Amino acid sequence: MAKKVKAVVKVQIPAGKATAAPPVGTALGPHGINMGAFIKEYNDKTASMVGSVVPVVVTIFEDRSFTFVTKSPPAADLIRKEAGIEKGSPQPNKSLVGKISKAQVRKIAEMKQNDLNANTVESAMRMVEGTARSMGVEVTA
Amino acid sequence: MPSAAEKPAAPIRWIEIAVPAHPEAVEAVSEILDRVGYNGIAVDVPLEGGPHIVKAYVVYDHAARVKVRRVKEAIGRLRAFGLGPVGEVALRRIADEDWLESWKSQFTPIAIGPFFVRPSWSTASAAGIEIVLDPGMAFGTGLHPTTRQCLEAVGRLDLAGRSVLDVGTGSGILAVAAAKRGAGRVVAVDVDPLAVRAAEENARRNDVSVEVALGSAADVPGAFDVVLGNLVADVLVRIAADLRARVARGGVLVCAGIVAEKEALVVRALADAGLARRRRDQREDWVRLDLA
Repeated sequence: MAKKVKAVVKVQIPAGKATAAPPVGTALGPHGINMGAFIKEYNDKTASMVGSVVPVVVTIFEDRSFTFVTKSPPAADLIRKEAGIEKGSPQPNKSLVGKISKAQVRKIAEMKQNDLNANTVESAMRMVEGTARSMGVEVTA
Repeated sequence: MPSAAEKPAAPIRWIEIAVPAHPEAVEAVSEILDRVGYNGIAVDVPLEGGPHIVKAYVVYDHAARVKVRRVKEAIGRLRAFGLGPVGEVALRRIADEDWLESWKSQFTPIAIGPFFVRPSWSTASAAGIEIVLDPGMAFGTGLHPTTRQCLEAVGRLDLAGRSVLDVGTGSGILAVAAAKRGAGRVVAVDVDPLAVRAAEENARRNDVSVEVALGSAADVPGAFDVVLGNLVADVLVRIAADLRARVARGGVLVCAGIVAEKEALVVRALADAGLARRRRDQREDWVRLDLA
């Protein structure tokens, strides 16, 4: 019989750099999992990706065991890369820091579609577009 | 930020910033919280419908209020960008003792090179140069291959009376090890205030003199006989010239945290800065380089 799922938590941290500090400790600690085991496993699995942010979705079961899967990079990272910028605008309503085309939005949406739980690529594109605009990145035709 | 001179027992407190978000808005909210959150963000994913809760944690210090205000402003603006609904920003003050207990249970005494690394809560004893360590939440327990590689280097080098700089000291384990091996002046820096605090406490715990400061290689004046940089490849590349500038004539740079596939980049950057590889060690995917 399948184990009962107690909680699902996504953790988005720099590869190879998980520690017991927040957000790992605060997000996973209260669920009673063996955090040392998670930290070691996360750092081992993401060792080759150091320098990137690697989100993982952790499924925690009633018996406190857990599994996790690594996900595609955050939409914001992909947008920054496509727009060729280091960071978003602190005031996206006043100052734009870059632009990406609809085609680039589609490319990101296709990469992220499964992870975003989007039913259609159009729906994923809407999410990517909204994220880009909130970062001060203009979406052009 | 609490003063590093405060008693070690004072718990670090955090502010949790939690924002409920429609699945469509999760990535955008995550981006906003990631701008201020310590080491990233977490998202509680609902098991049956309902909003996701995106969470970030900031150290409860004088800058926290500004960070919270920035988040609130950005979340307010987000509503104009046509994503699904985003709820109110909720704040909660929390301490860190509880979840650390399970972390501590994973950290057991370990012999590395000439050293015996013992967690402060363990009473185990063994032959070797003892390092008593409470990593707090900083990196560097001796369990990670990169820390082991560096400890072995510190155990091998002739440090008696020599000056040592540890860049990205984390828990301070390497600086403490260098001091225990008889180094003269030991300076340790880290850009993370939590690491600075942990390193200071660990130096005190081991009764050694380590000058700990917030910052990186560029912030330290002078040159050192031994420079340690247990960082990551990208950072080593970025600060290669600063590291070179800290190595005294006839000195050595020990750097680690290099994923094998990025070794060539690091070697090139350090060669451009004027340092040549003298020794190499690989453990699993991790490479340590000794350069002069």
